Amino acid sequence: MTEPPRPAAIDPRLLEILVCPLTKGPLRYDRDAQELISEQAGLAFPIRDGIPIMLVDEARPLDEADRIPDEVRR
Amino acid sequence: MSVPRIFDRRRVRQRRDRSAALAEPANFLHQEVAARVAERLLEVRRRHERVLDLGARECALRAVLPAESADMVVACDLSHAWLARSGGTARVVADEELLPFAPASFDAVVARMSLHWVNDLPGALAQLVGLLRPDGLLLAAFPGGETLHELRAALLQAELDIRGGGSPRISPVVDLRDAAALLQRVGLALPVADLDRITVSYADPLRLLSDLQGMGESGGLVAHGGPLRRDVLARALELYRRDHSDTDGRVRATFDIIFATGWRPHESQPRPRPRGSAQVGLGEALGRPPTASGQ
Repeated sequence: MTEPPRPAAIDPRLLEILVCPLTKGPLRYDRDAQELISEQAGLAFPIRDGIPIMLVDEARPLDEADRIPDEVRR
Repeated sequence: MSVPRIFDRRRVRQRRDRSAALAEPANFLHQEVAARVAERLLEVRRRHERVLDLGARECALRAVLPAESADMVVACDLSHAWLARSGGTARVVADEELLPFAPASFDAVVARMSLHWVNDLPGALAQLVGLLRPDGLLLAAFPGGETLHELRAALLQAELDIRGGGSPRISPVVDLRDAAALLQRVGLALPVADLDRITVSYADPLRLLSDLQGMGESGGLVAHGGPLRRDVLARALELYRRDHSDTDGRVRATFDIIFATGWRPHESQPRPRPRGSAQVGLGEALGRPPTASGQ
């Protein structure tokens, strides 16, 4: 089921209302990695076939490299 | 955090994923419920901006709702495999017990055949209410009442006959009265719960078991007492045929689907006035002449 990366077909109106299932905090959309990142929970939720998988079981724990640099975060 | 764990959520998801991978998953019951839910949703003469379809499977609700009734239907299911069977952009895999939506995101939330696998039903309903805008509609449909009572009885009796003791094989379900009380408990206005009985006729009870598997509606109990022994199964099928056959030799299976609706409170909704605030006597309102004793 592995597919080459392609532009995600996620409805932007859907991104507007999605939050982290654990913290109910905001998510950052990483288009290249096809992930939705919850900084607060330290989790990256994968997007497969354009479908966000908002399950804690399936999420990847973030490491330091995933954090946004301070100057970008402001 | 003291909610008893009745269902193994991981296994519920696995079973549902597995059923989606079948060439012909058993879909008829969920399709039927989708059609009945859509009917009820359309009774509300309102254009919905955003609708959540929880337990979407193949996004069946979007398929049966007229396009002009909703701007966006978000299809949400525990199973990626089911959602991936259909197209569309607004699809999300999520757990009914931990939903990933911002508060007040939806004008209507439809929970279709998915709440019967959650461990904390009041908690899940309360989460759904929080996703509604004021005056938003919650419409939940789930098996309850006497669903699968024939199979439940046959399995239990078979285990008693052969092993001398029984363990639950069929999920516990909610009855209609409890459903109505639950709606009130989670703070919904104008709560209504009613029940549709769908009786399915099978040539053989074994077909029912394979359908339940094909629906992904099997094996989610935590305490299920281990795999079903072959001799117990054979006895259960025998009892099922003996006790629940029609005159034409086919067997019945009951699905009682509870449809529960309620609204997130809003000041525009009708509500009773406080007691004692009436300006007109009841007799007068009923068109009876005033009597001396009535004053």
